[in-house]
Amino acid sequence: MTTTQPQSPTSGWQLRVFPLFTLLGWVLILVSFLIGLFVLAPAAASYWGGNAKAVRDAADAGSALLGQLQTLNVIPRWLEPLTFLGVASFMLGIALEFSTIPSLLRNRGQVLSATFPLIVKLGGK
Amino acid sequence: MTEKNFPFPFNMIEGMMPMFPMIAVMGWMIVLISLLVGIFALSPAQATFLSDAKAVREGAAAGSAFVQANVAGHVIEAWVPQFKFLGLGLMLAAITVALGTIAQRLRRMGQVISSQVPADLRPAMPPIPTRVRVFQLSTMMGLMILLAALIIGIVLAAGVVPAYWNRSIANELNPAEPGSALLAQLAVVSSFAAWLDPLRMAGMAFLFTGIILALMVIIGTLRLQANMLVNFYRQASQRG
Repeated sequence: MTTTQPQSPTSGWQLRVFPLFTLLGWVLILVSFLIGLFVLAPAAASYWGGNAKAVRDAADAGSALLGQLQTLNVIPRWLEPLTFLGVASFMLGIALEFSTIPSLLRNRGQVLSATFPLIVKLGGK
Repeated sequence: MTEKNFPFPFNMIEGMMPMFPMIAVMGWMIVLISLLVGIFALSPAQATFLSDAKAVREGAAAGSAFVQANVAGHVIEAWVPQFKFLGLGLMLAAITVALGTIAQRLRRMGQVISSQVPADLRPAMPPIPTRVRVFQLSTMMGLMILLAALIIGIVLAAGVVPAYWNRSIANELNPAEPGSALLAQLAVVSSFAAWLDPLRMAGMAFLFTGIILALMVIIGTLRLQANMLVNFYRQASQRG
């Protein structure tokens, strides 16, 4: 059986791209945390905790109270999908990393088949 | 430092690594328990509360079945989501630990192959990559955040949530005036999810980062070992 010269493994494009998706995942999740902490939570505390029900129910168009209610109902509609896009970005990064392993194992097989006879031959010396 | 002598908390983590199937089963059980709580506690509570007209259920006095059902529903919703995410987190941690175990085995396999190479051609054993420690810490951090979220959920579920909802909606909660203790409680009850839910996701982000770093360790180990074998082949071929 002839063996070819073993080659070092090449780095696939996935290894250059996955850190970007990991970073994107962190950015999206941190942005959603900061919006929740500094926008939604204070707005909810102010709207629900600062006004009697009668006042909240009687809020007129254009009032600050209705503005707060809009904030509390509108932002979560896009913020939650944004958070999950962050999770999806992490998962894409993980999938890209996994996708490089089969070629590394194939290379490992080639390298071992070339070096194994030499290890056996020189091993006792 | 030998590979068997790790400082705290890494010795604890290394000791837990072979137990990853048990950690995964524990995570799955937690998610299953959340499902059972939803089926057998939350759903009946909601069904009971919504079983009569709005005027009746909101006019019901503290201690009535309607108020009790409303309290049960809100209490469960305060802690069960945090509990469920802890289960998911444990499953992600099990994946990370499994990947860490694969990396460990690869290192041992490299040691075995290296020991068969003639001493003058034998490459030096590389140190354990720093990324190993970082992915272990990232996983621990993720689990601690999820555990903290669960503790916060339990504290809310045992304190302010039942304290607020265990009242007649029409006669006590709705007439509450600004500055009252009731509205202060409502502020907490209505706002905690806005920051606690994203905090849980930050915990998940640490766990995902742990998986990503563990995979980087495996990929790095495979590449390094292949390069070492290629170098050995070149040197051994030249020797003839």
